[in-house]
Amino acid sequence: MKFKKVMIAGMSVLLSIGFLTGCSPKSSTTKSSSTAKSAKVKLKVKEMIRIAERDEIPTMDSVHSVGPVATQNLTNTMDGLYRYETTTLKPAMAEKIVKPTNKGLTYTFKIRKNARWSNGEAVTSSDFVGAWRKAVDPEAKSQNAYLYNGIKNAAEITAGKKPVTSLGIKALNQRTLQVTLEKPLPYFNQLLACVPFYPQNQKMVKKWGNQYGTSSKTILFNGPYVLNSWNGSDNTWTEQKNNRYWNAKNVKTDKIQYQVVKDPTTSLNLYQNNNLDRVMISGSLIRQMKDSPDFELAKKNATYYLTPNLKKVPLLKNTKIRQALSLSINRKQLVDKVLGGGSGLTYSFTPKGMSFDPKNPSKDFASETSSSAAKYGKYNPTKAKKLWQEGLKETGNQGKTINIELLADDMGMFKAQSEFLQNQLEQLQGLKITLRNVPTKSRMMRQNSGDFDIVAAPTAADFPDPINFLDLLTTNSSFNYGKWSNSKYDALVKKSSSEDANNPTARWKDLLAAQDLLNEEQPVISLFQPAGAWLTKKGMTGFTLSPNSVYDMASVEASK
Amino acid sequence: MAKYLAKRILYLLLALFIVITVTFFMMKMLPGTPFTNQEKLTAAQLTIMKKQYGLDQPVWQQYLTYLSNLLHGDFGTSFQFENQPVISLISSRLQPSLLIGAQALIIGSVLGIILGSLAAIHYNTWVDRLATFISILGISVPSFVLGVILQFYLAFKMKIFPIALWEGWRSSVLPSLALAVSPLAHIARFTRTEMVDVLKSDYLELAVAKGDSNWQVVTKHALRNSLIPVITIIGPLTANILTGSMVVENIFSIPGIGEQFVKSIMTNDYPTIMGLTILYSVIFMSMLLITDVLYSLADPRIRLGDTGGIESVG
Repeated sequence: MKFKKVMIAGMSVLLSIGFLTGCSPKSSTTKSSSTAKSAKVKLKVKEMIRIAERDEIPTMDSVHSVGPVATQNLTNTMDGLYRYETTTLKPAMAEKIVKPTNKGLTYTFKIRKNARWSNGEAVTSSDFVGAWRKAVDPEAKSQNAYLYNGIKNAAEITAGKKPVTSLGIKALNQRTLQVTLEKPLPYFNQLLACVPFYPQNQKMVKKWGNQYGTSSKTILFNGPYVLNSWNGSDNTWTEQKNNRYWNAKNVKTDKIQYQVVKDPTTSLNLYQNNNLDRVMISGSLIRQMKDSPDFELAKKNATYYLTPNLKKVPLLKNTKIRQALSLSINRKQLVDKVLGGGSGLTYSFTPKGMSFDPKNPSKDFASETSSSAAKYGKYNPTKAKKLWQEGLKETGNQGKTINIELLADDMGMFKAQSEFLQNQLEQLQGLKITLRNVPTKSRMMRQNSGDFDIVAAPTAADFPDPINFLDLLTTNSSFNYGKWSNSKYDALVKKSSSEDANNPTARWKDLLAAQDLLNEEQPVISLFQPAGAWLTKKGMTGFTLSPNSVYDMASVEASK
Repeated sequence: MAKYLAKRILYLLLALFIVITVTFFMMKMLPGTPFTNQEKLTAAQLTIMKKQYGLDQPVWQQYLTYLSNLLHGDFGTSFQFENQPVISLISSRLQPSLLIGAQALIIGSVLGIILGSLAAIHYNTWVDRLATFISILGISVPSFVLGVILQFYLAFKMKIFPIALWEGWRSSVLPSLALAVSPLAHIARFTRTEMVDVLKSDYLELAVAKGDSNWQVVTKHALRNSLIPVITIIGPLTANILTGSMVVENIFSIPGIGEQFVKSIMTNDYPTIMGLTILYSVIFMSMLLITDVLYSLADPRIRLGDTGGIESVG
């Protein structure tokens, strides 16, 4: 009898764990039952697109938006002054694309009459002023504050030296917004399409304070879609067409359902089982699915590259040595065989398909510098060995064994990639490569403190302009990890943002010349252009990656 | 009993304090910062950010601040989920994890007991050998490998269960099964060993002599006595389930806390690491306490001593 009691007690303890937290099978579906129901109700294909997302939304507060998931979902639900319609910059909250006055220092925007928040209130210039001030306010702890550098007083405000009210942004009236810069920013219009420059409904910000954007109820939307019943850490959410959106008639899909799937194999299974319409795949699955008609590769505005540390390893100061290292790597083999075809082949530090000649939009920046990029980028072991020997002779290292450590991340494909690079580089006589693969955070720390011989890492653009990349290698840049310094290069980059800032053609030429110089000198050895590998069901169209690395979901259409 | 419980709870709190302290200082040894955008920030900007979050203070000072906040019920806010209080992050994701954890424990216990009993009753026959084989397999195959296999065959190929996602109770079956295999195997091994001993005992011979049927002998006498020690291993097995769930939740896209824990460590999300460590410790220690109490209730020879330990009465 007693035993029975004990067993019953034991089982009830176990079960009570479930019931106490309200996790009886019935109640466990409360949150998701709506999703389950909606999945069961056979919606017409036109009404809904189901997409796998690789991570949860970290925040819907545009000022704090970091990473691809926040960026994508904020782009779906919000509108800045401008917006990329597929690859074209179009006015959004602003009535038109503004040309600066006052030698490129003043921008005056008129907000469109029918700009509305999702509750029907008008979007006003104060909504921009409030959001921008918050972004540079040290109290708000935004990791995007650096993007505002160049706007009057932004850097001093972030450093705590000036009050937020001194930021160069003013609401002249309810619909007129004026921005003042410290120096001309030729890429300022592209910047304005970026999420951290979006407006925020000031009533909501005031009401919720730090909690703004942490769940659906603490935020209002002014973009193509609205995000309902999102609790802040959900792994599935639905965005519905926003009928109050100024351009609602051109939003082609009624509903987008996102589902976080972190395991790539599970993603593929769900896709093949028709639970999802669009998934991202990675690793070995790319090789497996590459020939499927549903497969597409979307190149990101990013570059994965090697940085030789000139300060720590004096041998690497020799240009011929760096050229030899670059020429000894077969990038085609790296991209096709090691990375399974999931990345783009490139020899250029500035990625392809991001920026175009202001005079001739069909001319891509990386293509215009491709001949100089190929000179020391295209695999040529004979030339590499020759330059290597010459470099060794010039530095008095002939016949010596050169030990170099290659620092890289330790996850996914990075280990295999390091091994491949080791094998390639060791074709150079006397070169001995030791591999050190560490967690990303450790790699970043060592990279920042200059504690490496050669480091492999990616860098990505914040906005579509070559300056994102070229600026990193100027002598005083904190991101110039290898400590390469070239006065001619510095002068070119400086000229592009000072005397040529208001002359797009001259500026373009400066930047091309700077890129050519990088291609010649090889202070960074570009390896490949990272890409997202997607599978999309037939009939889903309009998934074009915008120049700022997000998809314009308003242009996406599902039709059979 | 009340005195014993009070003592045990006091020890539990002490152990929790040690866990919090050790975890805090170990966590601070992780390289890097909790800032997602670290790669884009200059050294000067990083310094400003650290100052704003109080991460520039000496670690012992940060520790004291954390403790004092904790005593006021403030677990801090997450770094991964900007400005999201850790408490609400955990509470919104706790349900699915507890459900699959509890189900795994129940499935594992029930099936483990059945398998172990069958092996003992059919001692040294093919049934016993098969059960042993299944147990060894269950102990050696990790739950996430099993999860992938179950997902492929039962969901993708046969379409009996959903492949993944969290849409109602059916979604919890496969992850629960994947997690149940390890406790199932351990409990089966344990039950078998205990039962083999019990079946050889004198009082069972007496029961048979009294004319009880085989079924009665097994259920009324043998099973009951062999299960008492099994209770003791349920506590430690909870730890297996907790750690297993971290990967299994990823495979089945379950919005749980296990997967969140791994991510918080990868991203140096200090407040979330601490919050989840405390939660896991409380669950684990409570399970140990519950099983100890159950054990003393089940076995009259065991008495919970006032010293706070378990004493055997000869």
